[in-house]
Amino acid sequence: MTNEISISYLIFLMPLLTFVVNGLFLGRKSAKGAAAFAITCNGIAFASALYLAIKFFTVGLPPIVFQIPFLKFAENFAANIGLLVDPLSIMMLVVVTFIAFMVNIYSVGYMRGDRAEGRFFALLSLFSFSMLGLVAATNLFQMFVFWELVGVSSYLLIGFWYHKPSAVSASKQAFILTRFADSFFLFGIVLVSYVLQSFDFFAINSITLSYFKEHTINLGIMTVTQADALILGAVMIFTGGWGKSAMFPMHIWLPNAMEGPTPVSSIIHSATMVVAGVYLVARLFPFFAVCGNALELIMWVGAFTMVFAAVIACTQKDIKRILAYSTLSQLGYMMFALGACKIGSAVITTGWTASTFHIFTHAFFKCSLFLIAGSLIHQVHTNDLDAMGGLRKKMPVTYICALISILAISGIPPFSGFFSKDEIILAAFQGHHYVVFGLALLTSGLTTFYMFRLFFLAFHGKPRSESVAAGHVHEDFAMTLPIAILAVPALLSGIAAKGLFEHFFVPGKLRVPQLVLLPEAHWIPFVAVAIAVLALLIAWVLYASPKAKIERALDDVNRGGIYKTIYHKFYFDEMYYCVVRQFIFNGVAKIARNIQDYVIEGLVAAAVKFVHILGSLVRTAQSGNLTFYLGTLIVGIIIWRFIGNLPF
Amino acid sequence: MSYIPNYIIPDLLLLILPFLVIGSRLFVKDNSKIPWRIANIGLVLIFALLNFIPLAGGSRFFINNWNVSDFGILMREVLVLSAILGVWLSKDYFNHGGDGKPAMNQIAEFIGTIAFATFGGITVISACDLLTFFLGLEIATIPMYALTAWNKRDQLGSEAATKYILMGSVATAFELFGFSYLYGFAGTIRFDAIQTAASNPNPLLWIAILFLFCGIGFKLTLFPFYTWAPDVYEGAPTPVTAVLSVTSKATAIAFLVMLVYGPLAPVREQIAPLIALLAGVTLFVGNLGALKQSRLRRFMAYSSIAQAGYIMIALLGDSAMAKTAIIYYLFVYALSNYLAFFVFGIIGHHREESFDSLRGLSKQNVSLAVALAVAMFSLAGIPPLAGFFGKFHLFFSGASTGHYGIVVFAVLNNVLALYYYLQVIKSAWADEADEHLTPLRMTRRQRWVIVLLTVAVILIGILPFLSNNVFAGFTF
Repeated sequence: MTNEISISYLIFLMPLLTFVVNGLFLGRKSAKGAAAFAITCNGIAFASALYLAIKFFTVGLPPIVFQIPFLKFAENFAANIGLLVDPLSIMMLVVVTFIAFMVNIYSVGYMRGDRAEGRFFALLSLFSFSMLGLVAATNLFQMFVFWELVGVSSYLLIGFWYHKPSAVSASKQAFILTRFADSFFLFGIVLVSYVLQSFDFFAINSITLSYFKEHTINLGIMTVTQADALILGAVMIFTGGWGKSAMFPMHIWLPNAMEGPTPVSSIIHSATMVVAGVYLVARLFPFFAVCGNALELIMWVGAFTMVFAAVIACTQKDIKRILAYSTLSQLGYMMFALGACKIGSAVITTGWTASTFHIFTHAFFKCSLFLIAGSLIHQVHTNDLDAMGGLRKKMPVTYICALISILAISGIPPFSGFFSKDEIILAAFQGHHYVVFGLALLTSGLTTFYMFRLFFLAFHGKPRSESVAAGHVHEDFAMTLPIAILAVPALLSGIAAKGLFEHFFVPGKLRVPQLVLLPEAHWIPFVAVAIAVLALLIAWVLYASPKAKIERALDDVNRGGIYKTIYHKFYFDEMYYCVVRQFIFNGVAKIARNIQDYVIEGLVAAAVKFVHILGSLVRTAQSGNLTFYLGTLIVGIIIWRFIGNLPF
Repeated sequence: MSYIPNYIIPDLLLLILPFLVIGSRLFVKDNSKIPWRIANIGLVLIFALLNFIPLAGGSRFFINNWNVSDFGILMREVLVLSAILGVWLSKDYFNHGGDGKPAMNQIAEFIGTIAFATFGGITVISACDLLTFFLGLEIATIPMYALTAWNKRDQLGSEAATKYILMGSVATAFELFGFSYLYGFAGTIRFDAIQTAASNPNPLLWIAILFLFCGIGFKLTLFPFYTWAPDVYEGAPTPVTAVLSVTSKATAIAFLVMLVYGPLAPVREQIAPLIALLAGVTLFVGNLGALKQSRLRRFMAYSSIAQAGYIMIALLGDSAMAKTAIIYYLFVYALSNYLAFFVFGIIGHHREESFDSLRGLSKQNVSLAVALAVAMFSLAGIPPLAGFFGKFHLFFSGASTGHYGIVVFAVLNNVLALYYYLQVIKSAWADEADEHLTPLRMTRRQRWVIVLLTVAVILIGILPFLSNNVFAGFTF
């Protein structure tokens, strides 16, 4: 047992060591040395995580909890810091260390020649360390500490190119918006831990609500039962995950965060950090299951984000943004799968299994896709699909890997995404949430469509930019290697891990009845695949078939009206243009975009403006006039006499 | 000397120290370093001795009227720490001025004055009756007026001191008025007797409380009594601003702790709404004010107004929890605030103290930019820096008695605070360097103090159990 603990120490110490050594010494001296050191350490961390996982699953160890007191609040009430090693956290440890390892290798190529290469590797390791600490947290308090630390490293990395004003403002937006959500999280922690007198996951997961119905608690505005306070706390805690996992309407920071270097987007904003919210809900699942309709809320938030983001992704032309919206949509899948577990007052665990499974598979193919996008951007020097096309011949390895990952995310068997997504859709069906079930099927079609749109526009057709046509494009070994390696789990992780996650469900005592005998629905995979193939065909017809008019497909100024389409005779593909353009692009997608751009961003802007006006008001009151100041003393005492609530 | 108890020795030393420092000037030349060394040795010795007094011993009374409680000992440490850092910060201002002001003179008297103010704070936390209490508060306040106007050749400083002293006098009048009503209500000036009497409150008591809170609200920069703070913080010499923001604030909050958990303990429930409102409005206004500042010290003034609001929240909790939270937070606040002031001070020695002077700091002097970022993140309450744990304690203390409304409000306000602290970091890290700015130089002392403070802020955050003596100090 001690052996396992010392191994798990290694997992955390290695990234920390990299951060300290690279940040303080190596980074400034030699960028090459920093990179080599980062890769070695992250490799060791990954090897340790893998060793731990193999040991854990072959021997079948019980969960290990190792913790020391960290901060004492009262006699029997302290926040601990420690390591929780159970199947769920091991899975995350392996994923995080593996992705970090790959991204470090990739960054050698991507960041080559950047003036702050050393700093980049230091910060990347700071992020891995924080993420690992979050994953292995034994209690809410520790989780929150690392949660914020993850946010800080994300802030530092989005704004890595701080000479770009857009990067600076994006990093600030991401930090402040997630921090806004985190303040609810913090409040939730205070509330729940005060009622339960514990931060510990196991204690929180093992409560029965009826016990707390007898006691009341004063919330300042009103007195409620402790049970209601816990439900409020659960929603507040979820709000933290809501912001971190960028669910609607707090999603706006994620697409903007694409301003950071692409390796950062791939590790932080797709594969690991943004799933922290999903991980939080999965970790506290028994608690959420007990707390009233919390899971229902989670389901609807997830489902809406899933559809909303997928629709927007169909219209984007910046490849990183397409991937960002696709990440949002996939996060929506994971989130709603957790929420869909509730049937009346009972729960099923299919959704939990499916969601964690999807975290696992999604990490590989999405990370791979981002790395591929980075490769393209590195070669073509733009994010814009307008300037791509025809890259198939120039970058053959990248092309094949892209195909694998895109088939995986589209849910085509036997690629990894098929298995996890299929389970999610099945979970919605088994949970009798038929509306969400339909949305999930629809979104899987949309996913296939926008991913293949990206694929065809980037790789097929004729080159649309001079540098591609002139043959300046080539593959960089340091960048292609991790992409090729990642293609393997993108292809195989689904088959390999199928069925494994059902044994993972041990995060506490489930205090609500659990349904086990569930209806099987063998037709679902066929329907899902059929929809995906149909969407693929549509994408092919529009963007890759010999008759496709790429210029028109990419033209977003002169959108052909229905009249024009009819005038141009009814070809088969013209009809698709009609449906897709008029309905999806001009109709749904435009509305979705507008909601995001005007309503949500507008609300944020209005709030900021309001606060700034108040700020100016305070500033103006500071006139420097002594008479006025003395007046405030007198007025102050009168004000507090009347609003101070003193009983006289 | 056998009849003098050990725990009183630091207090006596601190009382003698200013006389020693100032008196030594009679025997040495004007530019001698002797007074400066005496002050350093004395203050550090006092701080070390304080650490040897065992905690968890309950209250100890010296001549019946000087109470050295556990809270008092820890508070003494905060105050002496603040004095040490303030003295270190001020040293360079006697060689050459900062923020466009001329250099200051008479370092011995300056240090002596700071020591007097510190002793005033200690008197407040040792008081057992209203008279000593009031006296302590005045001993703590009057040196501050003098310190503000220390730079006689600086007109802004004189103007600030005038405002400060005039408004301070009115506030003192409020307090005295409150005290007189409190005496009238209880018929005694002893705290324990007042506490007994307060079990049967009547309007006299409420009026007393209203005036006491408003009077101390001036020193603690609560809304709307904070108006002097930005002007005085801006006008006073930079080290004085730092001392004001820590020592003066710590004294004021100690005053409130003494009151709320002493004579007013029986009516704590009834004054909780007043405390919550004061806290909420103050931190909101402080945060709003800090949003649109271009001068660094004005910015720090609003930031410390907001911090005062946060500290007030702890007063809603029970005695042990509130005292733990407040002591812990004051330590953290003192360290972070002084760190920020050291960085601003170094900038001020060579440039104007404004946001524009921070531009390109990360390229000219990385270590300074890192220290600044650590200080700002700590003040903003980002884990794992010390500031987060401090804030968490404050919020937890407030929540422990069910004041969730104000806790939510404060936590949300933290987002606002993050925004303006990030502005500082943005100036230092992201804005392009301005070629016209004079380069920065650091003396060895400045470099060491900055390293020390930065490490302290990080370490207390990562290993908060290092400060376990704070938590052991109170019987839960």
